[in-house]
Amino acid sequence: MATNQALVNGFDALGDPTRRAILERLSTGPLAVGELARAMPVSRPAVSQHLRVLKLADLVIDEAVGTRRLYRVNPTGVQMLRKQLDKFWDQALAAYKDAAEAGGD
Amino acid sequence: MQVTEHVVRKSMVIGVPPLRAFDVFTNGFDSWWPRSHHTGEGDLVKAVIEPHQGGRWYAVTTVGEEEWGRVLVWDPPRRIVLDWQLNADFRYDADFHTDVEARFTAEGDSSTLFEFEHRDIERYGDRAEELAAALGSDGGWTGIMNGFAAAAQRPA
Repeated sequence: MATNQALVNGFDALGDPTRRAILERLSTGPLAVGELARAMPVSRPAVSQHLRVLKLADLVIDEAVGTRRLYRVNPTGVQMLRKQLDKFWDQALAAYKDAAEAGGD
Repeated sequence: MQVTEHVVRKSMVIGVPPLRAFDVFTNGFDSWWPRSHHTGEGDLVKAVIEPHQGGRWYAVTTVGEEEWGRVLVWDPPRRIVLDWQLNADFRYDADFHTDVEARFTAEGDSSTLFEFEHRDIERYGDRAEELAAALGSDGGWTGIMNGFAAAAQRPA
């Protein structure tokens, strides 16, 4: 379960253009550090460092596949948004029910 | 792999017949849509759903109009489906589509079973960067929810 702290960190983590570029690359599919580094004008250690920050912010997850470690966008970001939409509609639809039932016939 | 459902579902009974419930949802859209909730510049003046299939649903603001999407199904007083084309950053995106559906079923003489779904939420995952930014920023969901909570508590 993501916390508000993770959300705040997520925002900070995205304050850096290289990290945004890394996320954009990963949104098309999982990649290893080396593949990311080749596709970007930064060194491999720098990419590793950025990935660490993104992982801490719950924006990216990693897994070992054979001898490789693949990084991917954390799908729970979508679940967080789903929760927010859920809350939003709860409140909007409560207002709708009130409006429907308010006199006016 | 855990199966997660990317749908928001709501249902409730409303104490008016379907015709009135449908009318308030659509023609009365502006009377219940949260004032804090619009995407661009200026203040929200009016939220509109055009009453026909293929119509627009949109906002009039103090600086102009904001597209929100299209009316996919217009079937009064039973059903309406909207194409919700607002991305995670609350910007209109012509290439982004999610479905919002409301169904109205008579319950007895004077009540309506209202069933609601917002589907295709997994599509927000294709835009991970703006999703994360929207979730974390005051201009995104957090700010909108705070603003809406405050507005909802004010007397009409």
